[in-house]
Amino acid sequence: MGKKDRKVRMSLQTLRVLGEFLENPAELLSGAEVHQRCGIASGTLYPILLRLESAGWFVSQWESIDPSSAGRPRRRLYRLTSTGLKRASEVFASFNRGVLA
Amino acid sequence: MSQRSVTHWLIHHAARHAPESLSERLEEEWLADLEARTSMMSRLRFAIGCCWATQVIVFEHQPERVAVSSPAIGPKSLIAYADQNFSFVSLRSSMFFLVLSLHIVLIYGFMTALSHTNRNAIPDPLQNQARPRSRPNELPPLLPAPDLKHVPIEVPKLETELRYEPDPDGGVTTDTVHEHLPPTPPTPSTPHVAKRVEGGTGAGFPDTADFYPSVSIRLGEQGSSTVRVCVDAKGRLTSDPTTAKGSGSTRLDEGALRLARAGSGHYRAATEDGQPVNSCYSLGIRFQLKN
Repeated sequence: MGKKDRKVRMSLQTLRVLGEFLENPAELLSGAEVHQRCGIASGTLYPILLRLESAGWFVSQWESIDPSSAGRPRRRLYRLTSTGLKRASEVFASFNRGVLA
Repeated sequence: MSQRSVTHWLIHHAARHAPESLSERLEEEWLADLEARTSMMSRLRFAIGCCWATQVIVFEHQPERVAVSSPAIGPKSLIAYADQNFSFVSLRSSMFFLVLSLHIVLIYGFMTALSHTNRNAIPDPLQNQARPRSRPNELPPLLPAPDLKHVPIEVPKLETELRYEPDPDGGVTTDTVHEHLPPTPPTPSTPHVAKRVEGGTGAGFPDTADFYPSVSIRLGEQGSSTVRVCVDAKGRLTSDPTTAKGSGSTRLDEGALRLARAGSGHYRAATEDGQPVNSCYSLGIRFQLKN
């Protein structure tokens, strides 16, 4: 995954994912949690997460738990990067100005 | 194959077809997120969605396509877009059939499970057992023949005499039937014959012209209709008059019947020895146009 700041194709689902992360930029969210909050199907959600991670807007890491003691497998958690936070804010600001980014 | 193993198999299948660098990570991530799903359908939808996600991820991780066509034909982006679309349609169709087949499997599973439940709920069908015939080839014994004797039956003789007596006044005859059981002894004197006078129309009887049907007047229909009426001693109808002989025109016959009904109470009753009695007789009504 490249960590370059690349242009991301915006779709309605991508905006919904970004909006969810923008509510609390420091929060770590798994794919299951994003699905619960946005209601986006897995077939659409994971390509978006990987696309944003590949563009450098997100970073991901494994959940720091012991699967045997937790009784479940560890999850992959996503978080906005500073670049992602800046770009996502710009996108939503452009919407507020009525200009599509 | 249980539902859990189906969803795991789908996720394994999807992750195995993902780019090599992401295969293990996606499988672990998806299996972890699968555990967050509670319902069976939700887990199944998630697993099928992962298959779809793999296709998209594989497509996005492919090296950029190079247009083989001349730039004069069209922009490179357009050619690449067309290429994407062809691939997308094929992928979409395959996923559609995959989802369709899964639905069929699920529906079949539900139906077979339900039919098993229903089969247990329905009691066993009744067992029909034919009773063996004790004497299949033997006929029942015949009853003894009854002892019949010829008994003569005597029927008393019925004597009927029909006598017609002319009406001394108007030539109207009256039919009288006398039945004699047993025969009457001969009378020394001649029988008394009542003097009968038939009835007819009396005072105040409606005018025929008032009941001449207007349509018949316009069409010039004329004719005579014979109506049979039954009146009591006071000249009132005792039953509805009927047409005894038609005029050939239904309208004239209907007009005659209306006239006969309207004349109830104005008939002259028949008399026997001067006393009015109930009687039935025919009444001729003629409809004729004047020049």
